[in-house]
Amino acid sequence: MSALALGIASFPLLLALIFARAPIGLAMFAVGAVGLTLVTGSPAMVLARLKTESFSTFSSYSLAVIPMFLLMGQFATRGGMSRTLFRAAGAWVGHWRGGLAMAAIVASAGFGAICGSSLATAATMGQVALPELRRAGYAGGFSVATLAAGGTLGILIPPSVVLVIYAILTETNIAHLFLAALLPGLLAALGYGVVIALYVRRYPEAATVMPARGNRGRATLALWPVAAIFALVVGGIWGGWFTPTEGAAIGAAGTGLMAWAGGGLDRAGLTEALLETARATAMIFFILLGAALYNGFLAYARVPQEMSAFVAGLGLGPFMVLGLILLFYLALGCVMDSLSMILLTIPIFWPLVSGLDFGLGAADTAVWFGVLVLIVVEVGLVTPPVGMNLFVITSLDRETPASAAYGPVLWFVASDMVRVLLLLAFPGIVLFLL
Amino acid sequence: MKVERLMRGLARGLALLGGAVLLMLVAMICVSVAGNALARLGVAGFGPVRAGYELVELAVAFVVFAFLPLAQLDRAHATVEVFAARLPARANALLTRFWTLGMALAMVLIAWRLGAGTLAKARSGETTFLLALPIWWAYAACTGAAGVAALVSAWDALRWRA
Repeated sequence: MSALALGIASFPLLLALIFARAPIGLAMFAVGAVGLTLVTGSPAMVLARLKTESFSTFSSYSLAVIPMFLLMGQFATRGGMSRTLFRAAGAWVGHWRGGLAMAAIVASAGFGAICGSSLATAATMGQVALPELRRAGYAGGFSVATLAAGGTLGILIPPSVVLVIYAILTETNIAHLFLAALLPGLLAALGYGVVIALYVRRYPEAATVMPARGNRGRATLALWPVAAIFALVVGGIWGGWFTPTEGAAIGAAGTGLMAWAGGGLDRAGLTEALLETARATAMIFFILLGAALYNGFLAYARVPQEMSAFVAGLGLGPFMVLGLILLFYLALGCVMDSLSMILLTIPIFWPLVSGLDFGLGAADTAVWFGVLVLIVVEVGLVTPPVGMNLFVITSLDRETPASAAYGPVLWFVASDMVRVLLLLAFPGIVLFLL
Repeated sequence: MKVERLMRGLARGLALLGGAVLLMLVAMICVSVAGNALARLGVAGFGPVRAGYELVELAVAFVVFAFLPLAQLDRAHATVEVFAARLPARANALLTRFWTLGMALAMVLIAWRLGAGTLAKARSGETTFLLALPIWWAYAACTGAAGVAALVSAWDALRWRA
């Protein structure tokens, strides 16, 4: 078997191992190590590489941004800002039909501005908003679907851990990616709001009309810590005042102070925040290590180049190829989480996409493709059978089975699809701020 | 039971140590950014932390290695459960045993090779670019943490025999 054939055969094998519940990082590590051993004819090269590869993969200044953003998210969930955000949003739109659900979306978007993770946003906003929605008489499935969709705003609105990983894999400017994701993120929030309005027109019994609540000015002013941290972290990274790693450290310190001032960061809270950061960090970096080995093998077998040449030879249009890739992500997203998908596939897909001509520059193509991928991988978080956000939210509400949310979730997914088509047709929505 | 408590304590303690190092990095970067900002405003005597970049690179590797044992014991590694969930319980138990064993093998391999790497760096005397710190120090710290990860994972894999 030639090296190339081995390389190509390795991908279905890898998927088979992963579907047999292998930890994803381990599957990539093992297939990469065995593959390299087979193509070089001895284990010597793998053993030599591993002397330094684990250390050099982890010892990275740019990757240090990941544990820091994760820590920032952990502090943010303990900072009590979720309640403040929900209250402020409720003061503005809470009295509309379906208004509390819209408030939950707006609050999720606000929380996404200081949290780079989808699950953390869903879990935090869910704890605050779900009981209130249910108390106000909103239907269970509709409430769960709303908060699960709102959770994806945690990733779409910068800072975003998935975008950081994408940036590192494709060597794209993180500041540009954050800037580019902002408008699509706001469009997502707007789209979800429209979905809620349409849904409650179609099913009026799913939502209630509440009296106007709270003082708008005071509730909005209470948001200043969130606004300040977002402006400092994301603004500082855009403005070039500091590196993404520095921005993440400052954000972690800021949300840490906020949580401490709010009383959420006593000894037990800090311990739990550190342990949760540890679990998530180790999970991501172990996949990074497996990916380093697996991609080393693919590169040795010349798979990315041959793949690109093969696809170019098919004579498909660039948009056809891009569309197929996005469909592939939608399908894979039904069973796999977004980070694993990005780490598994970007090293193969990015060389392919960067070779296509969309009438954009190379750097712009990278940013545009990144935002598109970000949106489609997030869809997987809210769709059955393994929409992680759905699970997180339904675990907060014992009365509502996850299946009750499947119908309403499709409405939100439809708005995601509309947004993807919009960005495909008008790359300027992503690129005009750059 | 005693061994289990020891292993869990080891994993948790090491993760908290890594977390403490991470908090120190956060603090150092904040001081560095503040110092840099003051220097740019023309305040004399302030500046960024010297070679902070290098310290982050060296320390974050240890942080990650220190987090690995906890992730293994708490089953924090990403997996795809949908298909296996349809298999009978016995098949699933078998899969769990198989993959914890695989994880243990990988961790032992990583720790062993990192140890070899440490010796090689110690022999070559390679130092960091700015601070001229011997690189093998960082390697040695990571090997220690990787050793704990290997130990904890091996115990995790073998305890199923009982």
